[in-house]
Amino acid sequence: MKGVLVALVVVVVVALRLWRRRTTSRDPGRRAGLGLESMSSLVGLIAAREVRERLRGRIFKVGTLLILLVVAAAIVIPVIHHSTTATQRVGVVGALSPIQSEAILVSGSNVGVRIEFVDLTSVAEAQRGLRQGTVDLVVIDGHHLVVDRADGAGSTSTSTQLADSVARNLGLVDAMLAVGLTPHQIGQLAHSSTLTVTSLTKAKAPVSGVSIIGIILLFVMLSQYNTWVLIGVMEEKTSRVVEVLLATVRPVQLLAGKVIGIGTVAFGQAALIVVFAIVLGKSVGSNFLQGTAPLELVSTLVWLVLGFAFYSWVYAAAGSMAERQDQVQSLALPLSLPILFGYIMALTAAGTQSASTFFKVLAYLPPTAPLTMPVLVGLGQVTWWGFVLSAILTIASTFAVARLAGKIYRRAILRTGRRVRWKEVLSR
Amino acid sequence: MSDLTVDPSTTGTLELRGLTRRFGGVTALDDLSFSVPPGQVVGFLGPNGAGKTTTMRAVFGLVDLDAGAVVWAGQEVDQRHRRRFGYMPEERGLYPNMLVGEQIEYLGRLHGMSAHDATVATTTWLERLDIADRALSKVEALSHGNQQRVQLAAALIHEPSLVILDEPLAGLDPAGIDAIGGVLRSLAASGRCVIFSSHQLDQVEDLCESVVIIDHGRLVVTGEVDDLANTGPRRLVVRVEGDRDAAWARGIDGVTVSEVSVGEARLVLDTRVDSDDVLRRAMQAGRVTEYVFARRKLSEVFREALS
Repeated sequence: MKGVLVALVVVVVVALRLWRRRTTSRDPGRRAGLGLESMSSLVGLIAAREVRERLRGRIFKVGTLLILLVVAAAIVIPVIHHSTTATQRVGVVGALSPIQSEAILVSGSNVGVRIEFVDLTSVAEAQRGLRQGTVDLVVIDGHHLVVDRADGAGSTSTSTQLADSVARNLGLVDAMLAVGLTPHQIGQLAHSSTLTVTSLTKAKAPVSGVSIIGIILLFVMLSQYNTWVLIGVMEEKTSRVVEVLLATVRPVQLLAGKVIGIGTVAFGQAALIVVFAIVLGKSVGSNFLQGTAPLELVSTLVWLVLGFAFYSWVYAAAGSMAERQDQVQSLALPLSLPILFGYIMALTAAGTQSASTFFKVLAYLPPTAPLTMPVLVGLGQVTWWGFVLSAILTIASTFAVARLAGKIYRRAILRTGRRVRWKEVLSR
Repeated sequence: MSDLTVDPSTTGTLELRGLTRRFGGVTALDDLSFSVPPGQVVGFLGPNGAGKTTTMRAVFGLVDLDAGAVVWAGQEVDQRHRRRFGYMPEERGLYPNMLVGEQIEYLGRLHGMSAHDATVATTTWLERLDIADRALSKVEALSHGNQQRVQLAAALIHEPSLVILDEPLAGLDPAGIDAIGGVLRSLAASGRCVIFSSHQLDQVEDLCESVVIIDHGRLVVTGEVDDLANTGPRRLVVRVEGDRDAAWARGIDGVTVSEVSVGEARLVLDTRVDSDDVLRRAMQAGRVTEYVFARRKLSEVFREALS
C-alpha cells in the first residue's frame, strides 16, 4: 500500500523539482534576494506535508485496509459461490447407456454447469437425496426424470434449465434410436455445425456496456476524497495554524498544496484499490471486470481526476467557512447534491441502451459531467471531440471555481467563532 | 544559528502609514501611523478592541486595508518581505497531531530555509527554549507554557528581521516570561525589530525600550519608556503609619491619589502644589515611613493616555 503511494509522491516531487530547476535556471537572479524559492516549491512542501501526515494517520491505514477487505470479499465471495453451484449432481437409478450419459453431459455444457453423476440404488434413495439436496436431478432407467420441486415455466434457475435440457436431449436420443440411428450416427448429429447467417443491413457496433462498478466507484471516491479536503481545511482553521501559515504563504498556494497533497494520497489509494482488485480478480478467476472496455476504464479514471479537481476547490471553500464537525454536515450536503444527481442519472442511464438528450446535456455541464460522461462513453454515444469538449469545459470551470474559492477562503478562513455565511464571503 | 549576529541586509524600520480598515460600521483602524525602529523591543498596547490584532494582521496581509501602507526598509511589504518576518498570532496555532520538531522544521522551510538549515535551527531553538526533550512529542501533548515556547520557536526559526508577537506573555508563569523576555531582548540586541502586544504592563515596562499605545484604531501615545516615565505631573509615594487607606491625602487641593497599596499612596501633584506642604500634611496625620519622588509607571501612562 505504502509502496504505491510513496512512488506517486516521488514522481510528483521529482516533477516539481525539475520544473523548479527549469524556472530558476531561466532566471538565476530570483534565487538571490530574500532567498526565495519558487511558488512550486512552496506548494510542493505543503503537498508533501499533507501526504506524509495522511499516510501516518491510523484512520487512513485502517480505512484503506477495510476498503481492501471489502473489495477482496466482493471479488472472492461470488467466485466461491459460483464454483459451488457450478456443479450439478445428477443421480442415476438403473442403467444409463453411454449415449444417454453423453446427452446429459451435453445438456450440462449447454446450461453452463459441470455434471457429476451419483449412482443411487433405489427410487426411495433418489427421493431422499432430492429432498435433502444431495442430488439436483435424478434419471431413472434413462427414461424418467425426477426433481424435488418443479419451477414454473420460464424459470431461469440452473436446476430447472438443466432438467429441461436433459429431458429434451434424452427424448431426442430415444427418438433417434427409435428411427433406427446408431449411437455413432447420433454422436455425429450432436456435433453438427451451424450455418452462417448473412444480414442485408450492417450490424451496429457492439456496445461495450456501462460498468456499474465504475459509476459507483466514481461516486464513492469523489464524495470521499472531497470530504477529506473539506475536513483538512476546516482542521487548519480550527487549530488556528492557518494564521501562521498565511503569514508566509499565499492562500492560493496553501490551498493548491492541500488539494494536490490530498489528491495524491487519494489517487494513490484509488490506484492501489484498482490494481489490487484487478490482480486479485485475475488470480481467483473472477469475471467482475467483464464488459468493462479499456476505453471506458480510462475515461472513468480521467473523470475521477477532473471531477476531483473541480469539486476539491468548492469543498475547500466550504471547509474554510466551518469550524466544527456539525457545521461540516450542513455545508457538505448542498455541495454533494450535484454529484448525487449526476450519480442517480448515471445509474438510470446505464440500464438503458440509449441516453436521453437531457442526459447528454448533463454530460457537458462541469458539475455533472464527471459522472455522466463515462456513461456516454460506455454507451458509445459520444464522439472523441465531444469528450474533449466536455473535458475542456470542466477544466476551464475548474480555474474559475478555484479563483472564486480562493476569494472565499481568504475572507472566511480567519473569521472564527461562528459559521461564516455565504453572503458574507461573496459580498464586496 | 544561535548567536543572533547583526546582518545589515536584514535590518530595517517598519513603518505603518495611515492604516485604515472598516468592518461594516465599525472602524477598526483609523488612519493609524507609527514606526518600529530596529534594535528595540517595542510594546504595543491598547485596551481590548483597540485594533492591535488587526494592525498586526495587516502587516502580514491577513487583513484587506481600506487605505494605508505597510512599509519595510523603505519598500511596501509584499510576500517576499513577509517570508523574512516572524509572527506569533494571538490565537496560538499549530498542527496538534504533528511532532514538535517536524512542525518547526516545516515552518522554517516555508520561510525559505533549506532542509539542513531548518533541521539545525530547530535543534538550536528547542534547546534555547528548553524544550529539546519534547521534539518528538505531539504538540497537543504539551502543557500550555511549552506550547507557547513551540509557537515562539515557530516564529523565530528562520531568524526573522522583524518579529511581531501578539500577546506572547499571556498565561505564562514567571519562568516562562523570563525565558521569552530574554529571547526578545537578545533579538532586539542583534538589530532586529521586535514588537509585541500585552496587557501585562509591568512586564512591558521591564522588557521594552519603547511603547505604542492605540485606542479605537488611532495612535494615542508613542515614545521611549524612559521619556514617558519622566514626563507628566510629579508623583510622590508616601506611606503614613497606621493609615492604610491614605485618608490624609484625600482632600488636599491639587493632589490626586492614583493608587493605594497597603498604606503606600501614589500621589499625582498639580503644578501649583508645593511638595513640602504635602509632607507636612502627612506628618500631621502620623509617622511618615516613606516619602519619595517616583517616575510615572507605564500603567499610569496607559491610563492617563486613555482617559
